[in-house]
Amino acid sequence: MRFAALIDGTTAAAPLQARALAAFLADGLTGDGPTGDLGGETVIFVADDREAQGLVALAPTREVRLVRAAPRRPDLMAESLLTAARGGEIDLFLAPAGPWGAELITRLACRSDGAALTGVLDARLTGVPGAEPAGAPGADLAGARLQARANVYSNHMVGRFELLRRPWCAAIDASWNGGRPLSPPAHEVLPDTAASADAAPAASGDARLDPLTDVELVAEPPAGSLADSRFVVVAGYGAGGPDGVGRIARAARRMGADFGVSRPVVMNAWAPMDRLIGASGARTAPAVCLVVGASGAPALHWGIERAAFIAAINSDDHAPITRNADAVVVDDGVAVIEELAALIDPHGRVETE
Amino acid sequence: MSGADDTRASGSPGPLRVLVSFKVTPDFEALRPADWAAGAVEAGTPGAGAASATGASSPGASATAPRDEVASASGTHAAPRVPTRCVRRVLNCFDESALELALRLSDTLAQRGGGADLAALSIGGREIDPHLTTLLALGYERAARLDVESDLDFAPAVVASLIARYVARREPCDLLLLGCCSGPGDGGTVPFRVAEALGWPCVSQVTEVEALTGGGLRVACTTDEGLLRLTVRGPAVLAVGNAVVSRLRVPTLRDRLARRDAPVAIVAAAELGIDVAAELGREPTALRGLEVVDRARRGVVVDGATPRDKARLLYDAHLRALLEAP
Repeated sequence: MRFAALIDGTTAAAPLQARALAAFLADGLTGDGPTGDLGGETVIFVADDREAQGLVALAPTREVRLVRAAPRRPDLMAESLLTAARGGEIDLFLAPAGPWGAELITRLACRSDGAALTGVLDARLTGVPGAEPAGAPGADLAGARLQARANVYSNHMVGRFELLRRPWCAAIDASWNGGRPLSPPAHEVLPDTAASADAAPAASGDARLDPLTDVELVAEPPAGSLADSRFVVVAGYGAGGPDGVGRIARAARRMGADFGVSRPVVMNAWAPMDRLIGASGARTAPAVCLVVGASGAPALHWGIERAAFIAAINSDDHAPITRNADAVVVDDGVAVIEELAALIDPHGRVETE
Repeated sequence: MSGADDTRASGSPGPLRVLVSFKVTPDFEALRPADWAAGAVEAGTPGAGAASATGASSPGASATAPRDEVASASGTHAAPRVPTRCVRRVLNCFDESALELALRLSDTLAQRGGGADLAALSIGGREIDPHLTTLLALGYERAARLDVESDLDFAPAVVASLIARYVARREPCDLLLLGCCSGPGDGGTVPFRVAEALGWPCVSQVTEVEALTGGGLRVACTTDEGLLRLTVRGPAVLAVGNAVVSRLRVPTLRDRLARRDAPVAIVAAAELGIDVAAELGREPTALRGLEVVDRARRGVVVDGATPRDKARLLYDAHLRALLEAP
C-alpha cells in the first residue's frame, strides 16, 4: 500500500495545498493500523527547476518527487502519473481541494480505470495487510477497502462512499485548508521516473498544441480576505434588496467587521461575487459572526460553521439559522444591526447611554 | 478562421456551436429537518455508534449522527437516498449561469453580424420539459432530453458518458458549457469526465466568456491564485462557477408563441448505444450511507421591546467579551 500526495508547484497555491494535505494525512486518514506506517510520497509538479528546492520543503512526506509540467494543465499532469497508477506502484492519490485537484484526480481515475471522489472530509482504509513494513508495496490488497465521507445534498447531509476500484483517487475537502503547519520531515528527493513524453509539448510552451493560451492573472485573492476575518457580518436575502444589503454593509464597516453575503444575495446582484460566503465562496473562522436576514442554508453554514460564536438576527423565528446559532434575535435584521453599529464605534468602544 | 466573427475552433465557416448541459434538481431548501432525518433513517439503520463514519476527525463535518446502509431482505444493499420526489424542481444555480452566458455570447456574436447555434441538453424525466420549452423560447435552436428513468444522482461516470456520447453522436459542438457541480452528489467531476471522454481541455470555475473578434474565446475563471483570463482555441468544456451572470432571462409571451411548435427532442440512452443499467453496475464509486449533519447550537433568544433594546442585550450578554478579547 502506497499513497501519493499531489501538489501544484506551478502556482502560488502550493503552500496552502501542502498544509491541507499534511493536516489530512495527520488527522483525516485512518486505518486498521497506524497510518503513519503507510508508505507515501509527495509529487510536486514544477514549471522550472529554480523553484524546486523551495517547494520540497513543503512536502508532508519524507519522500518527494518533482515532476516537470506545464502550469495549470492538470490534464497533462495526470498523464505523468499514469505509469505509477496503472502499474500499481501507487494505490491512493490524494489531491488538495479546488478545481486543480478535482480535475487531476478525475482525469487520472478515468485513464487508469480507478475511482475518484472529491470533497473528502475523511477516509478510512481497511483490509490492508500487515506486511513489514505495514502495507508495503506489492502486498496483496485484494481485501483492501477505502471508505470516505463527503458532503452531499448541498451540504444538508454527509455521504459515506466506497471507492470500488484502485487506484483510489481522492481530492480532500476545502475544510482542510488552513491546516496547522506541521514539522516538515527530512526530505529525500526521488528521481522523476513518472514523467511521460505526453507532458512534453505543453511543458515546452508550444502554443500550437496548447488550446489554452495567453493566461493572465487578473487579480490575486484580496489581502485580508474573509477567510482571515475575526469579526464578520453576513447579509442574506432577508435584507430585502440592494438598499438593505447596503445598509448592513455600512453597519458592518462602522463596527469594524468584514462583510459577506449569502448566495441569494449575489444571485440577485445585490452584492459583488467576491463577498460570497459558503460552499462555493469563502470559508470563515471568525470569533464572532452576525448573520442578518439569512435563512442559514447548509451551503452558507459551511462558510461560517467554524465561527466561535454565531448570532442570528432574523424576523423569522423558524428560520434554520435560529437553531444553528448561539444567540438569536427575532426582529428586523437591518434595524437591529444598525442599532448595534450605533452602539459600537469603529474603535470597538461602546457608546454610553 | 474564415472571418472576424467566426469563433469556431475547427476553422470551418459557420456559427459557433454551443451545447449547454444542465440539470434540474429538487429544491433542497424546501425540505425540513425532519425530511432529512427521515431520509437518513430510510437510507439505513440508525445508531451505528461511531462518532464518525470513518473514525477520523474531520474539520468539515464535526458533529454528525451516523446512519448505516440498509440491508434489504435479499441481503443486498438498498441505495441510500433522501426522498425528494414531491419537492419542486429548480435549475441548478451554476447551470442557470451557463445557460444565460451562452445566450449572451450568442447576442454578442449576433451584434457583430455572426451568431451562435445554441442547443440545450438535460437528462431525466418529463419534469424537465417545461425548462427545455422555455429555452427554446429564449432562442436555443434545439432542446433535448435524454430520457433516463434510472436514478443517476450519485453516478457521475454514467452521466458523463451520456453527455459525451450525445455530443459525439447527436450534437457536435465547439463549446460545451455546464455548471461546475450540482446536487445531490455535489462532486463536480462530471465536467472533467466529459472532457476526458471527448479528449478536450476543461476550464473550470468559469465566470465570464467573451468572443474574440479574431477567433477563439476569452474566458475568465477563478482559481486558488486569483482571477485568471485565458484564451480558448479549439473545442473545450467550460464548467461555470460563481459567474456574475447568475439569472436566466425570462421569455416574453411573444417569444413563447413564436416557438410554440419547436419540439423537445426525447432521446433514449439506447439510441446512443448506452446500456444505463450496465453502466451503473460499473460506476466506480458507491454511496453506502447518509448521515444527518447536526449543526445545532445553543440558540439563546435575546429578547427586548425594541431593536435598540435587543442590540444592547446582544452586545452586553454575548458580544462585548468576545470582541474585547485580545
